[in-house]
Amino acid sequence: MTVADVLLLGLGAVAVGAGLCVVTTAHLVRAGLYLVVCLGALAGMFLVLTAELVAWVQVLIYVGAVVVLLLFAVMLTRAPIGASGDLDRPGWPGLLVGAGAGLGLAALFVDAYRWTSVSLPDGPDGPGSAGVLGGELFRSWVLPFEVLSVLLLAALVGAIIVSRPDVGASDRGAER
Amino acid sequence: MPGPEHYVALSALLFTIGAVGVLVRRNAIVLFMCIELMLNAANLALVTFARLHGDLNGQVMAFFVMVVAAAEVVVGLAIIMLIFRTRRSASVDDSNLLKY
Amino acid sequence: MTTDFQLPAIDYQAISPLLILFGVACLGVLVEAFVPRPARRRVQLGMALVGVLAALGAVVLLAGTNVVTAGGSVTVDGPALFMQGALLAFGVVALLLIGERRVEPGGAFVAQPAITVGSEADQRQASAPGATEVFPLAMFSLGGMALFIAASDLLTMFIALELLSLPLYLMCALARRHRLISQEAAVKYFLLGAYASGFFLFGVVLAYGYAGSVDLAAIHAAVDTSQMNPALLYAALALIVMGLLFKTAAAPFHVWAPDVYQGAPTPITAFMAACTKVAAFGALLRVTYVAFERLAWDWLPVIGVIAVLTMLVGAVLAVTQTDLKRLLAYSSIANAGFVLVGVLAVGRTGASSAMFYLVAYGFAVLGAFAVISLVRDREGETTHLSRWAGLGRRSPLVAGVFTVVMLALAGIPLTGGFTAKFAVFSAALEVGEGWLVIAGVVSSVIIAFPYLRVVVMMWLSEPSESTATMVAPGLLTGTALGIGALAVVGLGVVPGPVLDLAHDAALFLR
Repeated sequence: MTVADVLLLGLGAVAVGAGLCVVTTAHLVRAGLYLVVCLGALAGMFLVLTAELVAWVQVLIYVGAVVVLLLFAVMLTRAPIGASGDLDRPGWPGLLVGAGAGLGLAALFVDAYRWTSVSLPDGPDGPGSAGVLGGELFRSWVLPFEVLSVLLLAALVGAIIVSRPDVGASDRGAER
Repeated sequence: MPGPEHYVALSALLFTIGAVGVLVRRNAIVLFMCIELMLNAANLALVTFARLHGDLNGQVMAFFVMVVAAAEVVVGLAIIMLIFRTRRSASVDDSNLLKY
Repeated sequence: MTTDFQLPAIDYQAISPLLILFGVACLGVLVEAFVPRPARRRVQLGMALVGVLAALGAVVLLAGTNVVTAGGSVTVDGPALFMQGALLAFGVVALLLIGERRVEPGGAFVAQPAITVGSEADQRQASAPGATEVFPLAMFSLGGMALFIAASDLLTMFIALELLSLPLYLMCALARRHRLISQEAAVKYFLLGAYASGFFLFGVVLAYGYAGSVDLAAIHAAVDTSQMNPALLYAALALIVMGLLFKTAAAPFHVWAPDVYQGAPTPITAFMAACTKVAAFGALLRVTYVAFERLAWDWLPVIGVIAVLTMLVGAVLAVTQTDLKRLLAYSSIANAGFVLVGVLAVGRTGASSAMFYLVAYGFAVLGAFAVISLVRDREGETTHLSRWAGLGRRSPLVAGVFTVVMLALAGIPLTGGFTAKFAVFSAALEVGEGWLVIAGVVSSVIIAFPYLRVVVMMWLSEPSESTATMVAPGLLTGTALGIGALAVVGLGVVPGPVLDLAHDAALFLR
């Protein structure tokens, strides 16, 4: 057992456990907080896998932005702080089938792969550093990258239209 | 001795947890968290495969997925907030004007 | 750090349709910021129409091109250009419907959807001009669709999928009338759509794990050479196809379609029915024909069962519907099954028949929704079947157009629908998929019944007090109706040119 193995076991257990809690907890706010734990554990695993930049971006975007947005949404929809009993719907057949399929898939993967990992192309700052990734991004992924910016613009514009403030309260709103 | 295949198995597990979660929960925001779990499971598999193939493209793709997820969150929460403002509930099953 | 950094060679001409669409969409956002409010609708509509027509022109100029460009992200080949052309032609018609303001004061969209329904502020905006931001949103969506068809790697395809979907989710929520249903449709469409794209993404990841690349041609090459376990490949194929079939509304991934088609504003429903279908089938054709062709013997039976199920579910449930928009949603599901029959006749004839079918279906469905947007009462559109009884006596011209469109959807000879069904079924027979043809013919017969019932009701019943009124179409809807009816009849009487075009175009570049 090397350090990496121990880390994998520990982080994996945390990620799966926290993921299960997200799906099962009756507290809306706690679900969000468990999600943070799960995403944090995943960021740790990215570090173990030498994807340094991905790990930090994961912390920034997911833990820093996405989950905060989700928690804001929880607050704005005035969700109860305590446990709420109406979060689940009877889905035992789906649960069983899904869980069986997932375990089967995982077992299949463990059984199927006899890979050896190859070392990543090395940059001056390590394989997963910002410089190397930036080069890769603009060498073969220029178009998807630009389209991504268009996607963000579309999402922003759309979200603003849908949630524009209720200006109708003033007289100016009537003219609009 | 855990190897890379265990990362992929872990990602398959997380993906399944998310996918089953969408089926068994009712609150739109929780459904949303489950979808985020699915996307993150995909990211873990991407980074693992990048390591296995000795190819950085997997890591680059993980960025793309994160940005797409962020855009999806913006749109999704806007729509959920919208329906909450007009309906005062974020439960998916409460929206049933269309069910008949 | 001094890496010898090289940008990939980009053939700007080959991607010019995409650049025009995205450019006009971004300009549209600027128009919202800088052009005074009263002039905005004209400017936006004009710009969007000119942009789509320019992109269509660019596609026509590109005819015959076969290149992979932009760092291997985009393939410009026959099928991509043919379907982009069809998409943009539908886009023009859909934009005409979106821009219409004669029929409903202020247009089909509302300016501030977040205002509580029925409140004082809401009553004040009841006849105020609607949001003009739908134009840039529709353009973003169109651009995403055009890229979706031409994407030559799965990551670009995923991003295009999101780009075409996110604006659609939002536009669903903007209906002026029946806004609660419209917003509910948006939530449903969004949650199920995000779920489906999660599956698509995981499929992409597994394909990457198998082939070491997400390039479609590289996956094709890896099918024979990769050392990885083939289970990975099959799982990838299943998940990717699942994500795409969701967008085409094939059973059992169709549950969103009736609710969303009914709830969304009618112009957006028309846009979804015609354009999204083309885009989704374009991507499905490319994925199955380019990347997974060597596995054809494995996916044929599975997708075959899905096709049969889709046709039957769509046809049988269409019979039971009493709401026209829901009826057309189930018809759209059944039609997805018919296109799948063409896709399953793997080869040039199969691809060209599926592409022709998409063209014929798209024009017919655009015409149908254009008529639906005209039949109204004080509450807005009336889509209940009983309210349509006797409409033919009151406004014979528009009812006549609707009749033509319905006959085309039913597959009556001398309409585009007949030629398209004939092309699809004969392509399937050619490759020996007789069972698909049997199921196809059976469901065509079943689904002809609801279409003909509407026609009979319109012409043979006496108009009564509950009969809705037919609003005179404005210039925009009138043009849309004309294009739809002409195309439907034209494709039935002289299908030759388009069939030849589809056949010449139907070779995928790998």
